[in-house]
Amino acid sequence: MAMQVILRSSAAWLLLGGLALCQSPSSESALEILRDRCIQCHGQRIEEGKLRLDHRDGLLHGGESGKAIQLGHSAESLLIARVSATDETRMPPDGQALTQDQIEILRRFIDQGAPWGNQNLQDSRMDHWAWQPLRPTNVPWLDTQSDANPIDRFLAVAMSKRGVEPLPRASRKELIRRLSFDVVGAPPSPEEVQEYETDLSEDAWERLVDRMLASPQYGERWARHWLDIAHYADTHGFERDQRRDHAWPYRDWVIDALNTDLPYDQFILHQIAGDVLPDKDPRSTIASSFLAVGPWDFVGQVETPSPVIKRLARADDLDDIVTQVMTSFCGVTVHCARCHHHKLDPVGQQEYYGLTAIFSGVKRGDRLVWQDEAQAIEATRSQLKGRKLAIDQELLKLSHGLLLADIVGGGNGFGTGLIGVGVDPSTAGLKQPHEKSGFLDGVVANRLNPTENPWIDSVFVPDGGAGKELAISQSGKIARGIPATGAKVWDAIRNGPVNSQFSTSLDGVDCAPPGHSMLSLHANAGITFRLKADLLDQSFSPQENPSGRFVFSGMVGYFGQTPTQGADAYILVDGQVVNKFPGLGRDDGLKSFRIELPKGDSLLTLIATDHGNGIGHDQICFIDASIAPLDPNTSAQQKDRIESLAKESGLLQGELDRLPEPRKVYGVLSETPASIRLLHRGNTEEPGQEVLPSALACVGPNLASIARLDAQSTDAQRRLGLAQWICSEENPLPARVIVNRLWHHHFGKGIVATPSDFGLGGALPSHPELLDWLALQLQQGGWSLKRLHRLILLSEAYRRSSIDAHSGTQENSARVIDAGNELLWRQNPRRLDAESLRDAMLSVAGSSNGTMHGPGYRDFEYQEEYAPVYRHQVLDSPEVFRRSIYRFVVRTTPHPFLTSLDCPNPATMTPVRNTTTTAIQSLATLNNAFVLQQSERFANRLQSDVGQDARQQAIRAIQLAFSRSPTPEEIDSATDLIQNAGLFHLCRTLLNTNEFIYVD
Amino acid sequence: MSIKAPCILPMQSSRRDWLGRIGSGLGMIACQALLHRSSHAMAGPSPSGQRGLHHAPVAQHVIEIFCPGGLSHVDTWDYKPQLERLHGSPFDSELGKQTFAGVAGKHAKSFWPFRQHGQSGLWISELFPKLAQCIDDMAFVHSMQSKSALHGPAMFMMNSGFIQPGFPSMGSWVTYALGSQTENLPEFVVLPDPRGLPPGGIINWGSGFLPAVHQGTVMEIGGSAEAIGDLFPARSMSAQSQQRSIELLQKWNREHSSQRQADTLLEARIASFELAGKLQMSVPEVVNLEQETEATHRLYGIEDPDAGPFGKQCLLARRLVERGVRFVQIYCGAENTSKKAIRPNWDSHEDIVRDHGYWGRILDTGASALIGDLKSRGLLESTLVICTSEFGRQPFMQGEQKGRDHNPGAFTAWMAGGGIRGGVAYGASDPIGFKAQENPTYCYDLHATALHLLGIDHQRLTFYHNGIQRRLTDVHGKVIRELIA
Repeated sequence: MAMQVILRSSAAWLLLGGLALCQSPSSESALEILRDRCIQCHGQRIEEGKLRLDHRDGLLHGGESGKAIQLGHSAESLLIARVSATDETRMPPDGQALTQDQIEILRRFIDQGAPWGNQNLQDSRMDHWAWQPLRPTNVPWLDTQSDANPIDRFLAVAMSKRGVEPLPRASRKELIRRLSFDVVGAPPSPEEVQEYETDLSEDAWERLVDRMLASPQYGERWARHWLDIAHYADTHGFERDQRRDHAWPYRDWVIDALNTDLPYDQFILHQIAGDVLPDKDPRSTIASSFLAVGPWDFVGQVETPSPVIKRLARADDLDDIVTQVMTSFCGVTVHCARCHHHKLDPVGQQEYYGLTAIFSGVKRGDRLVWQDEAQAIEATRSQLKGRKLAIDQELLKLSHGLLLADIVGGGNGFGTGLIGVGVDPSTAGLKQPHEKSGFLDGVVANRLNPTENPWIDSVFVPDGGAGKELAISQSGKIARGIPATGAKVWDAIRNGPVNSQFSTSLDGVDCAPPGHSMLSLHANAGITFRLKADLLDQSFSPQENPSGRFVFSGMVGYFGQTPTQGADAYILVDGQVVNKFPGLGRDDGLKSFRIELPKGDSLLTLIATDHGNGIGHDQICFIDASIAPLDPNTSAQQKDRIESLAKESGLLQGELDRLPEPRKVYGVLSETPASIRLLHRGNTEEPGQEVLPSALACVGPNLASIARLDAQSTDAQRRLGLAQWICSEENPLPARVIVNRLWHHHFGKGIVATPSDFGLGGALPSHPELLDWLALQLQQGGWSLKRLHRLILLSEAYRRSSIDAHSGTQENSARVIDAGNELLWRQNPRRLDAESLRDAMLSVAGSSNGTMHGPGYRDFEYQEEYAPVYRHQVLDSPEVFRRSIYRFVVRTTPHPFLTSLDCPNPATMTPVRNTTTTAIQSLATLNNAFVLQQSERFANRLQSDVGQDARQQAIRAIQLAFSRSPTPEEIDSATDLIQNAGLFHLCRTLLNTNEFIYVD
Repeated sequence: MSIKAPCILPMQSSRRDWLGRIGSGLGMIACQALLHRSSHAMAGPSPSGQRGLHHAPVAQHVIEIFCPGGLSHVDTWDYKPQLERLHGSPFDSELGKQTFAGVAGKHAKSFWPFRQHGQSGLWISELFPKLAQCIDDMAFVHSMQSKSALHGPAMFMMNSGFIQPGFPSMGSWVTYALGSQTENLPEFVVLPDPRGLPPGGIINWGSGFLPAVHQGTVMEIGGSAEAIGDLFPARSMSAQSQQRSIELLQKWNREHSSQRQADTLLEARIASFELAGKLQMSVPEVVNLEQETEATHRLYGIEDPDAGPFGKQCLLARRLVERGVRFVQIYCGAENTSKKAIRPNWDSHEDIVRDHGYWGRILDTGASALIGDLKSRGLLESTLVICTSEFGRQPFMQGEQKGRDHNPGAFTAWMAGGGIRGGVAYGASDPIGFKAQENPTYCYDLHATALHLLGIDHQRLTFYHNGIQRRLTDVHGKVIRELIA
């Protein structure tokens, strides 16, 4: 490979430009055309068609389509043909075609023998400010402000250049209100305002800032900003917007990480790779849910059998992850390179797929937070269950007698059988628990299938009907009165639930073994038990059964889904129907029966039939069905034993019930990475060559190698590699990006106005030196965000008034020179965002519930459907008066009140919220039931604070709403409203005022 | 009983007083201008001077009828004689595995016979006897495709050009570009099926990253005065108390604003309460269908228990457009449920005859009434009517079922009025309606054409978001000249 001279300085450019300029003195040079229009795709980084146009050899050598030029013969040169083409072969393919003049310049260049030194053309996009290393700058020295905050010294330089005078400091009441909304997201109480206003010590502001930053509400407030970028929600989104009940631990992690001031590089690392870090800290695992909290399409990923749809859904899924990581941490819009090279930034399509490969082992889903914890709980559970099982089995024998289910399970009737074992009614074949069947094939109805089991005479698939006789025993017993059926049957007659059992509970009782015995007959099935007197007498001694007579008892029910008229159950003794339960449904619950058996040998037959409407879910189960002595002679000793066993079983059940569920979080399921191919035009059905995991080249070629991995690399290696690339101090982006985000929220506008796009399409920094200085402060200050907040909050710039009292007509006034306030000669006034407004209403109304952490509050009615339905409601409960950060966020059904106030849709990442003012919004703040509810509570609070005096109520109300004392005129107006319309109306009015909704 | 009187700006006289008193900030004229362009004055970044129209518009309004669930083109608009010949023969089972349900059955001809109609002689199936009478006003695009076979993403694509949620819907883009003709009603109104919201929910008419003022406002067709959310307080209160409250509110707001001269946002919010008051007066009026004649009620089939609700949606759409609303979207169908009955939308997997039979009559009645009514009132020329679904259905049965699976490969959309040449068909699907064949197109071209008729160049209507100058038509779209009169 030839030595390459990388030209970056403008001096080198002049040289190069000068060289080409000789050929065409009055216009653009050929090399400039190649540089600006060609080498983006035919250069060092991207070699489309194996053609390079960034050096003379490349031009002469050509690419896949042949030589680019014929030296001296422009007419025969492919380059000219392609730039002058008018069909889809035209180059460059994007943007305007080259002008005739430009083509003429290229012609002349070729005809003159392509005069070119040995320098390479450099893609000028690589010179973009954001990719350059952080530049240390000395804080400007100002004679007048020698001890000022460095931030102010940077800003002062820019202002003095433009002749702009900043506004003075805002009043104390303005400052505390601004700081409070900004840092903790709620208004200060009148008491806090008074305390600060009267605190004349020099460090009053500093202490106030420190107190606010130390408040746990700081994390709650600033987590909201981060969740906007993470597009967090508590449901999947898309068509079947199912609940994600375990999403919230991530939200709590963000709150805690901010409150504990987790160093920002750790904040990044844990969110990209926390689950694969060696330390196995459960908190890190939760942090990595950052990759998963965005939308996810259940129908495309899971429900459809179509591989084409699945591939597209997965590609969208990975795109979401890559976009989120790269825009939030690095401010690079790599997603623009999914279908083609990035149109503005030097990001090739290859690099997009390289990043996709980093995450190709990441799937989303519920996962355990901590494996060890789950194992410990499971071990305890299994040990408790083992103990309980032994007790329950003995209890069952003592209290119930001979269990038919146990016999079907291959047991002796006293618990030796195996749960799940069954017998196929159409063949009498034995079925092990794992041998599950659906519809049985080759069923012959009414054929008697004898079994080997001494207790079971035979089984059969019944299909009766008017006058039809069914053989039910080997001895030739005949049954009548069994209805006609579809002669279909599902699975087997089992000890325990059948295959795909809808439920084991009925009437609120869980009948599942081992607590109960469960004999399941899925329609259509019949079984005849052979109750031989001698066998029964072996099971119950004469002492236990003095009368020698037996009774068959238990309960029966329909355990399927159908509420009514599901299936029928029959009990026959010696071929006679003695009890029947036609048309049982789930709503019928459990039915008891008790049947005295005849003396001597007898045949007991149980039949389930389909009620003439198909066998779907026709799960007839006999619960605790047993043969027991008619008049048992239970000894006192036995009774005691039963009692103590029952008690012990109950205690163990209590322990089992109290066992915690292992904590779960909706997060990353780490898998073996799938191979990633470059997709032509982003089309999943047009895969190209395989792309290996890698990071971006534009930030520095050396740095990129950190995350360049081979095809065998694991998911952990890939994500750790990328995290290392992002967190490296050589990577200037993360520090710049987060510093700018903090600045954006403190001033309402970033130093870079596009906080998630630092590329060529984004805004330029208004104060580049300050941005780099702050970024270095962050890197060198242990990546502490709170330190940075403090630095900003202590600046004069932050504390400046937002109110320009001047008329603003003088030509030299700041408002005329810098109307957009780029120079920050004043603080920007802001409207409260949706959540802060809601929280502020709760706060002044005295409703706030400060409970932190845990599952979100649900202010909606939930209806289970194919696509679940969420109807937002205004509830009157302290649970929903928690701060808005704890809202259960439904992705496809945005909250109507908050949405009217520009709460963003969590389908997209939102680095900057819109602030709109609409009539619909004003209707919402005036009339929404939530506002009326809080106005009412506000009124009640005032009455309890100051009693019934209207004037006192007015004063207190304004203090609470505006964080300041009212003027005499305001007191008069407010009192007048209370007296003529009522206190409620004053409260509602205050919550609607601009002064309440805007922060100076 | 609660009294829900208009409460924001009570009497005309006091309103005039109020406007007269805005001496310090904006005068009355300025204030009204602000109201008029409220959205823009208050919106975020402006799209670099693309506010106005790019060329003279033909259409002023759009009424879009959306049939969610997947309307079967081969049973309705797209006549496929070849399918009659193949009827009953099995479809390629390998290709069939690529479909949403993953199982293809036998080819199936239309369940309703096709006939030619009108001077144009275009074909339409007997499912739509009334629309067949309008055929010379309708222009069909038979080569529509979608990039997704799933309801949610395909709905989003048809509405916003993207299969991902979170992009602005067409109604949002149009109102963002053109603003409103009326300050008394929302500029973009959505009339969902009273049975419920369509797949994907309210994101279908979301404004995405555009300012919230451009999102669709849902209006109920129940006839209640409170047709939009929060129009009136959720509890009864005396009109007098409300009036006093509002007067004090605006007094305080004006005082607050007068000390902060640099801030137009504060003025805008004062004005927004004025605008809210207008909504309180106009919305109950527009939703009151009793004002219409009995003949009109009959035309729209208002009394019909099945077709009535959609008839009301169509009638209300006409009333909204008459009053200057820019964009109205009507949903003919709701979200799927797990209930085993007539499907609540066009998603006829199990039984085409049952579900399309039901919905067909509904669409036929309302849409034909709408076209005829607009025409007789001289509104059709300035109102572009669009009817579409998110995708079509397959030319074969879904396995052993009597229904058809989703088909994103081909479907039909049609337009009428607003500068559209009637009685024409553009593009074609293959001989059985499986894939678009001649002039294959996506929603992009439909959107580009609609924007063109509204005087907007789809390539120049852009908004910067996360690194990209976004467009309704993404990087695609061409105006279908063949459909333009």
